[in-house]
Amino acid sequence: MPAQKTLLNQSKIKNAELYLFRFFFLYFLLQLLPIDGQFWQHIFSTNWFKPEYRDIFYLTRYQPQFVPGGPSFLNWGIIAVLAAVGTVIWAQRDGELQNRDSLYYWLRVALRYRLAIGVIAYGFLKFFPLQAPPPSLSNLNTAYGDFSDWKIFSLSLGVVAGYQSFLGLVEIVGGALLLYRKTATIGTLIILPFTGNVFFSNLAYNGGEYVYSAYLIAIALYLFAFDGIRLFTLLSLERPTAPNVFQPVLLGWQKNGRLVLKTAFILFFVVLYGLQTRAGYAEGQYHFPRTAGLKGTEGIYNVAEFKLNGRAIPYSKTNPQRWQDVVFEKWNTVSIKSSRNVKVVSAPTEEIYPLDAERNYEYAGALGRHYYSYEVQGKQEKLILNNRNPNHAAEKLELNISRPNSSTIVLEGLNENRDSVYAVLHKLDKRYLIFEAQKTGRRQGLTL
Amino acid sequence: MSTINIDQAGSYLGPNESSVNGAAQPVAQRDLAIWKPYQKVLFRIAFVFFLLMSLPSNWAWYRDALTLDWLHLHYRDLYDIARFGSGLSAFGNQIFGSPLNGYAIWVITLIFSTGVGLLWSAIGFLTKTEAKAYNLLYYWLKVVVRYRAGIGIIGFGFTKLMPTQLPYPSLGVLNTNFGDLTLQKVYWLSIGISPWYEVFTGIVEVAAGALLFFRVTTFWGAMLLFGALADIVYVNLAYDGGVHVYSSYFVLLSGFLLIDYIPRIYKLLIKEELTVPAVYYPTFPKAWQRYTRWTLKGATLTIFLGVLFYLQLVNFLYDPYKQPAIKGLSELRGNYEVSEFKLNNQSIAYSPLDTVRWQQATFEKWTTLTFKVNKPVNLDLSNGGGAPMRDINRTFELTGVAGGQRVFYYEADTVNKVLYLQDKNRGGARNQRNREYRGNTEGRVRSDKAKQAKDQWIPKEALAAIGPEDPKINPIARSTRRTKGIEEESKGGGKRNRMILNYQIQDGGKRVILSGINERKDSIYVVLNRYDKKYLLPESTLKAGSY
Repeated sequence: MPAQKTLLNQSKIKNAELYLFRFFFLYFLLQLLPIDGQFWQHIFSTNWFKPEYRDIFYLTRYQPQFVPGGPSFLNWGIIAVLAAVGTVIWAQRDGELQNRDSLYYWLRVALRYRLAIGVIAYGFLKFFPLQAPPPSLSNLNTAYGDFSDWKIFSLSLGVVAGYQSFLGLVEIVGGALLLYRKTATIGTLIILPFTGNVFFSNLAYNGGEYVYSAYLIAIALYLFAFDGIRLFTLLSLERPTAPNVFQPVLLGWQKNGRLVLKTAFILFFVVLYGLQTRAGYAEGQYHFPRTAGLKGTEGIYNVAEFKLNGRAIPYSKTNPQRWQDVVFEKWNTVSIKSSRNVKVVSAPTEEIYPLDAERNYEYAGALGRHYYSYEVQGKQEKLILNNRNPNHAAEKLELNISRPNSSTIVLEGLNENRDSVYAVLHKLDKRYLIFEAQKTGRRQGLTL
Repeated sequence: MSTINIDQAGSYLGPNESSVNGAAQPVAQRDLAIWKPYQKVLFRIAFVFFLLMSLPSNWAWYRDALTLDWLHLHYRDLYDIARFGSGLSAFGNQIFGSPLNGYAIWVITLIFSTGVGLLWSAIGFLTKTEAKAYNLLYYWLKVVVRYRAGIGIIGFGFTKLMPTQLPYPSLGVLNTNFGDLTLQKVYWLSIGISPWYEVFTGIVEVAAGALLFFRVTTFWGAMLLFGALADIVYVNLAYDGGVHVYSSYFVLLSGFLLIDYIPRIYKLLIKEELTVPAVYYPTFPKAWQRYTRWTLKGATLTIFLGVLFYLQLVNFLYDPYKQPAIKGLSELRGNYEVSEFKLNNQSIAYSPLDTVRWQQATFEKWTTLTFKVNKPVNLDLSNGGGAPMRDINRTFELTGVAGGQRVFYYEADTVNKVLYLQDKNRGGARNQRNREYRGNTEGRVRSDKAKQAKDQWIPKEALAAIGPEDPKINPIARSTRRTKGIEEESKGGGKRNRMILNYQIQDGGKRVILSGINERKDSIYVVLNRYDKKYLLPESTLKAGSY
């Protein structure tokens, strides 16, 4: 009797296991396959004969989305329901599941490659420190409390290129290990803590990629589970442990096919993408506008004189009309500090915008300053300023510019309310502690 | 049960089932019984090296540990026991005149250990008394390293788990421009702004340490520690954080613990072969051995996971060590515009370029007044850490912060409405040294007794109104260390800028008038208008201290 009971129990356990297997198989298959419209939209709207790294980046960041309005865990729920239904049907059709090992193997292959490109895509953006750019001049001259937490997270990463590269390298190595069956589990041991940290950072700093990072983590956990029990037996219980024994059987053309596919995959997602990001880095940041600013203007300026409709307004921190200081960036952005209210833009996800007008990094998650793009009309005599912030899109300034000497700029014209405005700007010889301390070190002290 | 005795002190813990071990087990057993010559030489070097690195080499450590007032502990008492740099310090901390970025002691220790290890090998070889294997010694060496690393990282981890190590920025820092901070400050603040994230990093560190206390979980603890601390080493190098050597220390120790596991993982995953771990654990046949083991282990767990948790929690709640503990005047707290400023009765209009006039002022929730003046200051660029007991010496709010912010500690005579203010910055690099009280018995802050006697700048009746500093925090957070520390730190300690200002609160707190003598003995009259600043940076639900 007891023997029979054990046998019965074992078959029950085996049955439950099969159900679980089917469920997870379908669940991850659905998470993996490009089954929503957005993916195909991206595929068809891209010129794949001449792909840019942003095209590949967005391709790797695919996650199925059925619910409109950005990534959400609701999609996971929908997929889980679909997978559960599929599990029941599948169980009725094929109770024994003879080819389970093989199915499991090939799903893992697909997931390994999926996860690998997911982390490698971000890895290269960090390795060539693009993801978090060095702060702009305006950012350096913005009060710490005027930034959002996510912006500070990014700025703090951007101030040291070397550290960002190191993080990128870890991601790339973790991803590369996934491309080989035997090192895949070691890859997950790198990716789980790394992406786990990304996930918690997104939660804690109000970032926008917690769903996507959780998506990568879920895949990594599923992959890790394959060897997890073995590793626990070997490293925790310290008992003899049998290795994986399943090997896929590939015949004739299949062997070559595998080699060709794998090579093509690596060439495209690692080599081409890596080279493209490197070229992108050499070209400049993708976060800031590309159009150059007026030559010789870069710097921060004190607004020594200020007139509104002909009436002088003295220095003031409380008058919203009074400009306090002005920054000319290297590119065609002017930012003006004043106490005039800013309706802030939040940009908590990583986006690679091709057009200057879309590039919102410099003003996203920041108060205290208004950011304007400018166009030069005539022979450097007139600046047409447009507020870059979509929440202030209607604001337009037309200012004649003159430069009586190399450190003075005089602006005169109409402000955003069509009031006449006159400002004399004196360039400040501002020394920033963040750079000065790197020159002298911190042990000596510094007068600043 | 296939337990195979190797020597008298220990046993090979084989598998209970013999279904998979086959022929591999005797191989593993043989590997244990007879070590290869190079393994033995390397072990002897490693043995000396890691013992020297894991045990405190400073006598003061032992003295402090033995003289603790266990009934009135401060979190820092246990933290100091957990935190010590090791290695051979007898030969100095430089090689060929270079400290090697702080790693010279490691190199010296390694050279010394290599010498001893080789000598040990030579004697063994020549006298033919060489041991066949060092399983027992190796086991105990790993125990020492596991506990050293575990205790050390837990000491650190709790200051993050109860987020005090990287504080949330004060108002003065929130009002400072991003470019006016050091890299070190930028990184520390970037964690500090998200206390819940800091808690997460603390959990990782404490978990890594706790996992090292058990053999079953050693691999996972060592992995976690290695990964987390390798990252911290890189952060410290990249952001000039200054703690790179001590964080490398944990990478070294956890790396040593991982050595055992790597061949096994390689064999199982890469070669895909049946893997039989060669494992040696000593047995404890005598009752007293078992009791001793459990007592020591239990005491470690109790002290460093239980008591330290409690002490750190109390510190977080009532005395967060990097920010002042005592609450400031609640009716003054907030941000102010400076609407009027008179120097020696001369009114000065606001200009961002003026080198005398205050531009903006802030009263923190603790006893600090910050104001901004466009005049260079000799900055304190240290980390603003340590364990000063007096609020005036807690400098995280000013270290590594420029932009003209001046930071003054105040004591308030609320009867006569007078603030007695002292500059928290004593002038740059000088500020970084001799600031804190270091322990119960060790060290003393620099004291200038001759000056101190005459130096009664606060009148007696005001002093009476202000009251002593020590009892001003919640009684539960008081400790012997705090009492002694405040006493020691009060003994002079260099000259500071001072101001004596009367304060008048008007219009329900919307306006504050400060008048009196500033740090240059000029009379000032300052009208402050409160403004309600809405920061974009969100506040956390988790706040250190009680104010």
